[in-house]
Amino acid sequence: MKCEWVRQNITLHVYGELADDARYELEQHVARCGDCAAELKAEQDFLALLSQERAAEPSPNLLAASRMKLQEALETAEQGRFWTRLAFDPANWLRQVKFSPALASAILILGFAGGVGTAYRVFDHPPLVAGVTTSAGPAVAAGPAEASITGIQSITQEPGSNQIAIKYNTVSTLETQGSLNDQRIQQLLLYAARNNYNSGVRMDSVDLLTQKPDLSAVRDTLIYSLQYDTNPGVRLKALDGLGPFVKNDVHVRDAMLQALVNDSNPGVRIEALRMIEPVKADGSVRGVLMALSAKDSSQYIKSQARTMLAQLPEID
Amino acid sequence: MAGQERRIDDTILIREAQRGDRAAFEELVRHYDQAVLRLALHLTGTEQDAQDVYQDAFLKAYKNIGSFRFECSFYTWIYRIVTNLCLDHLRKRNVRKEDAPVVKDGNGGEYDLLDQVADVRAGANPERDLMRRQLGARISGALEKLTPRERMVFELKHYHGLKLRTVGEILHTTEETAKNTLFRATQKLRGQLADMR
Repeated sequence: MKCEWVRQNITLHVYGELADDARYELEQHVARCGDCAAELKAEQDFLALLSQERAAEPSPNLLAASRMKLQEALETAEQGRFWTRLAFDPANWLRQVKFSPALASAILILGFAGGVGTAYRVFDHPPLVAGVTTSAGPAVAAGPAEASITGIQSITQEPGSNQIAIKYNTVSTLETQGSLNDQRIQQLLLYAARNNYNSGVRMDSVDLLTQKPDLSAVRDTLIYSLQYDTNPGVRLKALDGLGPFVKNDVHVRDAMLQALVNDSNPGVRIEALRMIEPVKADGSVRGVLMALSAKDSSQYIKSQARTMLAQLPEID
Repeated sequence: MAGQERRIDDTILIREAQRGDRAAFEELVRHYDQAVLRLALHLTGTEQDAQDVYQDAFLKAYKNIGSFRFECSFYTWIYRIVTNLCLDHLRKRNVRKEDAPVVKDGNGGEYDLLDQVADVRAGANPERDLMRRQLGARISGALEKLTPRERMVFELKHYHGLKLRTVGEILHTTEETAKNTLFRATQKLRGQLADMR
């Protein structure tokens, strides 16, 4: 164990940031090396000296004044409009891609190979002619015989109208517009909810789909999003859309119970617990509540499950 | 367990705030505003500047809460906003050195004029108070000589006790980079304050 390695890691050791094995090695070395032991003591004394001069604490008056001033400012402040969630954030996207070389490679393949083997065919009927514009310029009379979708770029709903505009990519970016009753729009929304890399686009597609939960394909997609979407905000949105069907649709109920038991986000679990309240008397729901009340890691969920069980009549 | 309960509260409050519930946002603010104000005060050095940073940070959070996608905790998100504002402040201050409200003493050390007002309360120990002020001034002076990023990493680690992994997330960098920055910062500080040990 070299002294040089020890000296480079002494600061991390004093702050408790070393991994257990490295910490052990360092402590073993320091026990044998007088110079390094002295260096460790010097570092500890120095950081203790800095801590003598504690960071200034804000006075209660300053905190109270700051809160009041903020409250006044909030009265006139406006939140960003919903379309800010649609804005493509290149910096955030680049950060994700930087740490996901596999994702970066996959996107390149999609872009240059034209989606062969990875594109999702949406339209197997006549080409999109009406209402289609391309990024190449004025609307063209006819597009390709069949369209292969490589990604959904954005979803926009005109405020106060039922018109939805969706930009989607094939080899070039296209756009189509229509109402939520338009089958093309529905197909694109279903695609976006399952396949888009941008969580904001998935969020917006799920949000719009919750307005059409009667369609079985929509409900299946909402269940899919609840079970598999990586973003907890999207999962919460899907949960919202499925809520009215928990009484009559056993698949919805099962999906909610799964979310309640397995979701990694505590907020999603809490919301799922709230959603199954109307069906707490159901046998499968009762069984899950009993398991949660006995040994869930969250005290809140445990106590809520107990409360719900206490409201049920005893089973004879 | 307390941390998990806090995240449950935050998730519910964020969703309510995203639906336009201002009271929910204000409740969210109260979970974190003391720590935010403390960080701002320590980095800006004045109550007025700290209050401005506090105000700007939470207003920015309010305006952009709709685009919060739960990809990180609200804690990390708000700290990111505050540290960016404080870094801007530190960088501007580095350019405008003549604005620093300090005076040099005969040995070249700096101190705040207000600190020189005598403490006449019963039980006051003038000599101990003077030593404390000198120590405080020396430490402040040494911190000023760090780069804004080094200072930020040191502040978040030493005075706020955050894990370096969290510091990295807040500053949009890796844990490894945060570790190297911390090492450089402490080495510089030890060099500046070597005679005080």
